[in-house]
Amino acid sequence: MKLTIKNWTGVATWRWVANDDNCGICRMPFDGCCPDCKLPGDDCPLVWGQCSHCFHMHCIVKWLQSQPVNQQCPMCRQGWKFNNK
Amino acid sequence: MSRHVSKIGDPSPLKRLDEPQISKKIRLEIEVDENMSDNSPDRNRRANFSNVNGVNRNLNIHSVKPTTKKLIIKNFKSEPKLPDDYNETTWKKLSSAVIAIQQSKPNEYLLEELYQAVGNMCSHKMASELYKNLFELIDAHVRSNIEKFKTETMDRLLFLKKMNDTWQSHCNQMIMIRGIFLCLDRTYVLQNPNISSIWDMGLDLFRKYFMLHTLVQTRVVEGLLMLIEQERQGDKVDRILLKSLLRMLTDLQIYNKAFEQKFLQSTERLYAAEGQRLMQELEVPEFLAHVDKRIHEENERVLHYLDSSTKYQLIHTVEKQLLSEHINNILQKGLDNLLEENRLHDLSLLYQLFSRVKNGLQELCHAFNAFIKKQGRTIVIDPEKDKTMVQELLDFKDAMDNIVASCFKKNEMFSNSLKEAFEHFINQRTNKPAELIAKFVDSKLRAGNKEATEEELERLLDKIMVLFRFIHGKDVFEAFYKKDLAKRLLVGKSASVDAEKSMLSKLKQECGGGFTSKLEGMFKDMELSKDINVAFKQHLNINTPELMPLDMTVNILTMGYWPTYLPMDVTLPAQMVKFQDIFKEFYLSKHNGRKLQWQPTLGHCVLKARFKAGQKELVVSLFQTLVILLFNESDEHGFEYIKAATNIEDGELRRTLQSLACGKARVLNKIPKGREIEDNDKFKFNNDFVNKLFRIKINQIQMKETTEEQKATEERVFQDRQYQIDAAIVRIMKMRKTLSHNLLISELLGQLKFPVKPSDLKKRIESLIDRDYMERDKDNSNQYNYVA
Ligand SMILES: [Zn+2]
Ligand SMILES: [Zn+2]
Ligand SMILES: [Zn+2]
Repeated sequence: MKLTIKNWTGVATWRWVANDDNCGICRMPFDGCCPDCKLPGDDCPLVWGQCSHCFHMHCIVKWLQSQPVNQQCPMCRQGWKFNNK
Repeated sequence: MSRHVSKIGDPSPLKRLDEPQISKKIRLEIEVDENMSDNSPDRNRRANFSNVNGVNRNLNIHSVKPTTKKLIIKNFKSEPKLPDDYNETTWKKLSSAVIAIQQSKPNEYLLEELYQAVGNMCSHKMASELYKNLFELIDAHVRSNIEKFKTETMDRLLFLKKMNDTWQSHCNQMIMIRGIFLCLDRTYVLQNPNISSIWDMGLDLFRKYFMLHTLVQTRVVEGLLMLIEQERQGDKVDRILLKSLLRMLTDLQIYNKAFEQKFLQSTERLYAAEGQRLMQELEVPEFLAHVDKRIHEENERVLHYLDSSTKYQLIHTVEKQLLSEHINNILQKGLDNLLEENRLHDLSLLYQLFSRVKNGLQELCHAFNAFIKKQGRTIVIDPEKDKTMVQELLDFKDAMDNIVASCFKKNEMFSNSLKEAFEHFINQRTNKPAELIAKFVDSKLRAGNKEATEEELERLLDKIMVLFRFIHGKDVFEAFYKKDLAKRLLVGKSASVDAEKSMLSKLKQECGGGFTSKLEGMFKDMELSKDINVAFKQHLNINTPELMPLDMTVNILTMGYWPTYLPMDVTLPAQMVKFQDIFKEFYLSKHNGRKLQWQPTLGHCVLKARFKAGQKELVVSLFQTLVILLFNESDEHGFEYIKAATNIEDGELRRTLQSLACGKARVLNKIPKGREIEDNDKFKFNNDFVNKLFRIKINQIQMKETTEEQKATEERVFQDRQYQIDAAIVRIMKMRKTLSHNLLISELLGQLKFPVKPSDLKKRIESLIDRDYMERDKDNSNQYNYVA
């Protein structure tokens, strides 16, 4: 082989696998972050419920704190359970 | 006595220097007086007295208290009897002495004797008559002296000289006469407030006849004006004569009325005409130099012979006729040239002169501002000059800063005006200056820029920041800056991490953390990617030791930070696909809930290539890699085959082939030759490739950035603005719950950091109402309510 790769620098972009473009709680896009954060990504992660809805972690935590009893998904009103894929 | 004479009437304090030369006798009198009035509250008297040197018209004899007078009389207790004809014989002596003085003849009596005689007469109540006799004698002499000039027809200068001689003799004579009659001043004059001192009497008489004979007075004044005019025309004149005669007018207290007014009028006439004429004849720098010279000369005139009270009006007249009247002309005719040609010396002079006249600096500042706006506009407005715009802006700013600092005395009015002007003109062209400033920074931060040392680069960045500060659409700058920063980071083309960080912190300082958070995110992604790649290499070693090795590094970008890249599907060789899949699996196992999108447009490789002449390393893009690798299978491929095999988008592929076969380093040969890539072209591996370098970078042929890519960036800025407007509206409405249209607009204009039109805001509000973020109030259509 007269031509071989010595090294290769690839580039990839990542985004959240979400079933919607925007967070159902704060309405900000998932590519951005929740209103309390400045930077999207690891600093403002997404979390999924077992109902398959997802939110900014900061948004759903706040939501759940405001619902002492009957913690439900704000989208489908099923009981909220974190889905730890 | 002659040394005294030259100082007569000189009001300057310098005269005190002559004090020791006052005759001992006068000095003695003064001291006696002082002792005798010890109880008097009038302690300033001695100061007054010495101030006028004992010969001055201002001698304030009448202010001495009556107690003093009594004391003086007590000093002469025994009164000797005098012969009956004492008055007559003594006056004979005295008058002959006075006449001798007046005729400059030797005196036949001892001064001591005469002085004593006056004393005797004063103490024997003959003072009044003595004063009257003396008055008549002096009156007659002064009258005849002045009347002589009535019929004089001599030349003006000679006339002036003669008048000066007469005046000087008058003063000399009066000093001598007063020396003899001092007792009269000390007693009789002191006791009678309406009687002038002998010196003053002399002046009064001189003034009386001088004024009476208008012709004489006019000839003197006109003579003086003539001399001054000759001097103004550049001739040498007798300044001592001028000074002496002007002092005469001052001493006679007619300086103002008889001379000054006419002098100022003639000054005004002269300079009004001269100003008009020279404004036409001279270029502005010469004109300014001339004005400066004139002001200097007139100051000299005050210093050398004019009364200092004339100074203010004189200089004001010159300034008014030579400057105030021509402010606009000077600025219109000359300022632009001086600024363009950076004539610092002339600009300093201009500033210095204009600071003398009312509104001068305001007008100068105004014209300076207008110049910057006009000149600056030509730099930014012409698309032909885009290549040099930023450098020209930097140079222009440097030049104007320098002028404010070195010519305009760092005057804040000017430096503020300079800023205002820059901000004004730089925003005359929307977006372009912001874009070009971003690109300029890129060119300086990119590797291979070896023009500058770290310190020079730092200083340059600071200057760039000054320009950046003027830009209204800072988001346009950010978008282009980000695009370039991405290239520098991803292709490893950044010249210096320190410089990058420094620029970032400058931007942060200028615009706040919100502005730079995404840029910082990009740096953070690069850091994180390093860690991921280290972990990935370990992972490969442990899990897939059998895999054919490929040195793969992946930069993982967070979508929100980076410019948006269009995904492009291409066909990779099996080995690369394998590595991509392994990496993807590895990455997603570490990061839940994410998906990865490969960005082949951003990838690059180093290839090892064997040519006849030996092995080389080629630094190439991923697209170039895909094309070149095809030539392992066969030495020759057609365009259509390459297109099918790589699946690279048509335009992109043509550019890639151009770079490999038509650029500087041709590793492929195109058949037939030619610049454009045609569908039927064939490409052959160039086995004869030679290059003096071992590692060769084959540049991608850039897409025409000026059109497509740049439009895309602008479009992104536009969309981002829409998004920011939406977010701001929602934020404000969420906080206020209900708000009138106008208040909402004004809050928005306060919050948004880019130029927006109210009509655009209205569109966004409508859109948010459609999307149920807010609603129009049912009762008041001008009011909005937040919808929770
Ligand atoms: Zn949220
Ligand atoms: Zn958050
Ligand atoms: Zn749900």
